[in-house]
Amino acid sequence: MPTDGAAKRPASDDQPLAELRAILLGPDRAAWESMRQRLDNPRRRTEDVASVLADAVRLRSDAKLRRALQPLLEESLQLSVQSNPRMLADALFPIFGKAIRKAITAELDDMLQSLSQTLEQRFSWRSLRWRWEAIRTGKPYAEIVLLRSLLYCVEQVFLIHRQTGLLLEHVAAPNAEAKDPEMVSGMLTAIQDFVHDSVSGTEGDNLETIRMGDIGVVLTYGPDAILAGIVRGVPPRHLSRVFQETLDTIERQKAEALHSFKGDTSAFDICRPQLEACLVGQGQAQERKGKPRAARALVFELPALLIVALIGWWIYSAAVERRWTNFAHRLRVEPGIVLTIFDKRGGTHYFSGLRDPLAADPAALLEAEGLASGKAAFHWEEYHSLDPRFATQRRLLELKTQLERRAFRFPIASAAIPLDQRFLLDDVAADIQSLIQAGTAIGKNIQIEVRGNHDPAGTEQINSVLALSRAVNVLAALASLGVPSAHLVAIPEDREKQTCSAVLEEDRLFCRSASFRVIGVP
Amino acid sequence: MLKKKICMVGSFGVGKTSLVRRFVQSLFDERYLTTIGVKIERKDVSVDGQSVTLMLWDMAGEDELAKVNLSHLRGASAYILVVDGCRASTLDKAVELHQRIREMYGALPFVLVVNKSDLRDQWEVEIAQVAQHGWPTFETSAKAASGVEEMFLSLAATLIREHSAGEDADQ
Repeated sequence: MPTDGAAKRPASDDQPLAELRAILLGPDRAAWESMRQRLDNPRRRTEDVASVLADAVRLRSDAKLRRALQPLLEESLQLSVQSNPRMLADALFPIFGKAIRKAITAELDDMLQSLSQTLEQRFSWRSLRWRWEAIRTGKPYAEIVLLRSLLYCVEQVFLIHRQTGLLLEHVAAPNAEAKDPEMVSGMLTAIQDFVHDSVSGTEGDNLETIRMGDIGVVLTYGPDAILAGIVRGVPPRHLSRVFQETLDTIERQKAEALHSFKGDTSAFDICRPQLEACLVGQGQAQERKGKPRAARALVFELPALLIVALIGWWIYSAAVERRWTNFAHRLRVEPGIVLTIFDKRGGTHYFSGLRDPLAADPAALLEAEGLASGKAAFHWEEYHSLDPRFATQRRLLELKTQLERRAFRFPIASAAIPLDQRFLLDDVAADIQSLIQAGTAIGKNIQIEVRGNHDPAGTEQINSVLALSRAVNVLAALASLGVPSAHLVAIPEDREKQTCSAVLEEDRLFCRSASFRVIGVP
Repeated sequence: MLKKKICMVGSFGVGKTSLVRRFVQSLFDERYLTTIGVKIERKDVSVDGQSVTLMLWDMAGEDELAKVNLSHLRGASAYILVVDGCRASTLDKAVELHQRIREMYGALPFVLVVNKSDLRDQWEVEIAQVAQHGWPTFETSAKAASGVEEMFLSLAATLIREHSAGEDADQ
C-alpha cells in the first residue's frame, strides 16, 4: 500500500520499488484498485447495499432487527401523517372503512336485539322486577334487560395460532365436557379454511359463528391468533366484543411470541387468566347459584304466591257475585215477579218485591242456578199480575174449582140421572167447554174425570157397577151436549176418598153421586 | 409444550389414513374409507428426552378429478409424501405435489414414504428410482406395522433438531 513517506521520495528512487510491487502484487492490484474506488465512491457503496438489503432483511427477520427498525418506522409514519395525511388515509381506508362498517352493523344488531327483547318483556312481571333493579342499582334499564334476558354459558375458550391452527392455550368451565382441545383447535381451523375456500369470500371475511342445536362456537380473529369460545345457549352480540377485546390484548402483549411462533406454546401459559375471564355466562342456573333457595322464596316466591292467591280469590268472588247479579236480573224478567230491592249485607243477598202466587218459585229458581240458598233471603208481597198467561191460568183455576164443587145426586140403587138434576148438565157442559178452551189457549191438555160414587148399603160388587154406571151416564149425557168425549173419562169410584160411610139417609144422598176432577191444571 | 403440524399428502388410496391410524391408535382396518376434506389426529411423542405433540393433518388424496387443497398446509412444520409401492403413478403424483408445495410454502422438512411393504412382490415402484431424488425415504406397511413408528419418530426428531437450532440462532 502507498504511504505518505513513499510519496515524498524522488521518482527515480521509487522506480525499483514500483517494479518490485508490480512483480509481487501485479495480478491483485487491479482488483484492489477497483475495491478502493468502490469504497471511496458513496454512490457505488449505496448501490451495493441496495442490491443486498432485501435479502439481508429477510435473513435477519428476528426481534433485534424489528426493534432497531421500530423507532425509524414510527418516526417515518409520523412524518408521513404530518406532511400528507391523505396518502395514509387512502391507504388505510380499505381496512378501516370495512372495520367501521362491521362495527356499526354489529352495534345496530345489538341495539335491535335489545329493543325487541325490551318490547317483548315490557309489561311482564319480570320487566317490573328489572325496573326495580335498575332503580336500585342506578344502572340503565336497557343494560339490566340485556344482562338478565339472555341465557348462555361460555363453556370453553380456545386460543389458536392462526397460521398453523395449533392450540396455544385452552380453558374450560368446571362442569364443561372438553374433548381433545388440540384436535378441536385444528378442526376449527380446517373448517375456517373450508368455508373460506368454498364460498370464496373476500380477504378479511371470516367464519364468525358455528351453530349446532344448543351449542355454538363464536370465533374472533386477530392478525396472528384466533379466539374461539364454545357457547351453550344464545350468545349475546356483546360476547364477540368481549372476545375481541381479550384477543386484542393478547395480540398486543404477545405480538413477538405470536409472530415468531414455531410450536412452543409455553409462552402463552400466562394468558390463562385472560381466557378464563371469557368464561362468562348468564342464566337461571347462575341466578340459583348466587342466591339461596330459602331467601329466594322469602323475597320473591312467597309474595308472588300471595299476590296470585289474592288475584285468584278476587276473580272467584267477582265470578260468584256476577252469578248473583244474573239471578237478580232473571227475577226481574220473570213473569209475575216485581223485584224492587236487591241488596247484599253481611254475605247474605236480600230479594224483596211483589210476587204473583202463580209465578215461579224464586227459591226453586235459586236452586236451579246452583247458588247457595243459605245466602239468600226473600220477602214477597202478594199481587195479581195482569200478564195474560196468569189471567188465563187464574180463569182455569176458577173453572176447576167451580166444576169440582158440582155433583149429580142419584136415588137409591139407580144410575139414571134424575129429572131434577138434569138442569145441571148444561152448566157442567159449559164449564167443561170453557176449561178446555182456556187450557188450549195456554197449551194445556185438560182431562176431566167423571167419578161415580155409591152409598154404603148393598154389596160391593153391585155398588161398583152402580158407581161406574152413574159416571158413564153423566159422561154420555155431557157428550150428547157437545162436550168432546176425548177430554172425559169415567171412573167407578173416587179412589182417593174413603168409601162413603154415612148412616143417615140425608147424608147418604151425597154419597150416591157423580162428581168431577180436573186433571192438567196446577 | 412443543407442538408441530404435519400434513399427510399423496394420491388417493395410498394409505395415509392407515399410517396415521397405525401410528396414533396402533390399529389397522382392511376396509377402505376415503377421506373427505381433512381429518386431524394428535400424537404425543418423546424423542431424546424432548416431548413434542404432533398434530397430524390427514388430507384427502388427490386423483384426476379432485385436487388436494394445499391451503391446509399453511403453517405446517413438515409434510409426509405417501406413495403406494404397488402403483407407480402415485410416485409421479408425490413428486408433483412436492413441487407444488415447495412453490407455495418454500422448503419445508418432508419425508417420502413408500407404503404397503407387505406387498413388496407386487410393487411397481423401484427403490432405485426413488433414491435418485435424494429425499429421505422410508418403506412402511401400515398393515404389518412395519416402519411406521420409525418414520414418524424420525420426522419428529428432525423437527425437534430444527426447533432447537432455531432457538439457538435467535439467542
